[in-house]
Amino acid sequence: MRIAVATGVAGGIGGKLAARLGDAGYHVICVDLANGVAEVAESLPAATAIQADLTSEEGRASVVSAVQSLGGLDLLVNNAGITRDARIVKMSQAQFDAVLAVNLGSVFQLSTELAPYLREGSAIVSISSRAYLGNFGQFNYSMSKGGVVGLTRALALELAPNVRVNAIAPGLIETPMAMAIPAEIRDAMVNAIPLQRMGLPGDVAEAVVWLGDGERSGYLTGHVLVVGGGRSLI
Amino acid sequence: MLAHLRIPTSQLDLAEVVSASGIIEGSADSGLVFVASGPAIGDDWAAVASELSEVFRLTQQAVRSGAPVVYVVAGEDLLGQRGAAAAMVATGMLSAARTAAIETSRAGVPINVVAAYDDASLDDVVAWIERLLVPTGATGEVVRVGVGHIGKALP
Repeated sequence: MRIAVATGVAGGIGGKLAARLGDAGYHVICVDLANGVAEVAESLPAATAIQADLTSEEGRASVVSAVQSLGGLDLLVNNAGITRDARIVKMSQAQFDAVLAVNLGSVFQLSTELAPYLREGSAIVSISSRAYLGNFGQFNYSMSKGGVVGLTRALALELAPNVRVNAIAPGLIETPMAMAIPAEIRDAMVNAIPLQRMGLPGDVAEAVVWLGDGERSGYLTGHVLVVGGGRSLI
Repeated sequence: MLAHLRIPTSQLDLAEVVSASGIIEGSADSGLVFVASGPAIGDDWAAVASELSEVFRLTQQAVRSGAPVVYVVAGEDLLGQRGAAAAMVATGMLSAARTAAIETSRAGVPINVVAAYDDASLDDVVAWIERLLVPTGATGEVVRVGVGHIGKALP
């Protein structure tokens, strides 16, 4: 059985992502800081639940240990992320530090620490964001997700030819966080999307599974796939 | 023109050319030129976090004062050619510049990035820094200096 690690599975995109990986036949090592991780894992055909803070050495070690016990890794999905939005003139050092540590630091460190266990033909898929192209009120988030793009390119070169490394840059996705945006503002955002709808968590999950599958996307590496309904064109 | 010059010791050649130019060391309240460390940063996350945090603090100071910002990165690092740490810093700075440019665009404060490739002359790099420290209508832009980017992925 193929082994996948998916982080942030208790979040808006993560639950659908874990389910889709389960459907694709992976044993999914589900990771999240939140309590919901056990519930997500229990819903899958084959899964391991790890509740851990990936910014801590101990948290990441628990994931590495699970991979070791299963004998290796076929797909790492770096999905965990947070936002602490503010205009740069108002942003606090704590807001900056928190986002950078989770969205970039843990991705870099977990990828590096799991790299020795990636099997030949395996893949890393990291969730960046369309905000890597710039987004008002998200200096910290944009920087962290831009950093994920650079990390993706560097690891693609470093781990080739045995491991493919790609990123996905989702746009506005229908998650609880997005649905908390006032309806009037959300409608205006949707109107600026050529496909005239928010993305679904399944849109991102499908792209992840596709990029993880060497038979279907085996010649792609170092790529950033924007899943944003065409929003970055206008 | 006045600007805070953050140039790492690993790039003394660039520092010399800048000091011979019309850019005079000042505070970030008057302008900011932030040069990324590149591969000299090593491969440690703490160093990456420290450098990006310094980018944040100095950029915030400049933006609060309505001062222009120019980041200088290596083009090779935008493509991930010289290791993960240098790549994360370079691409993180580029994305941050784009966001800061959106936030300052109404005020007409330029925030741009110079991506210098190995084959670029330091005189050309510094000429672009000088040009971008004054409003020219360009903001949130990356200017690639040298020919190393031709035929490669867009940053």
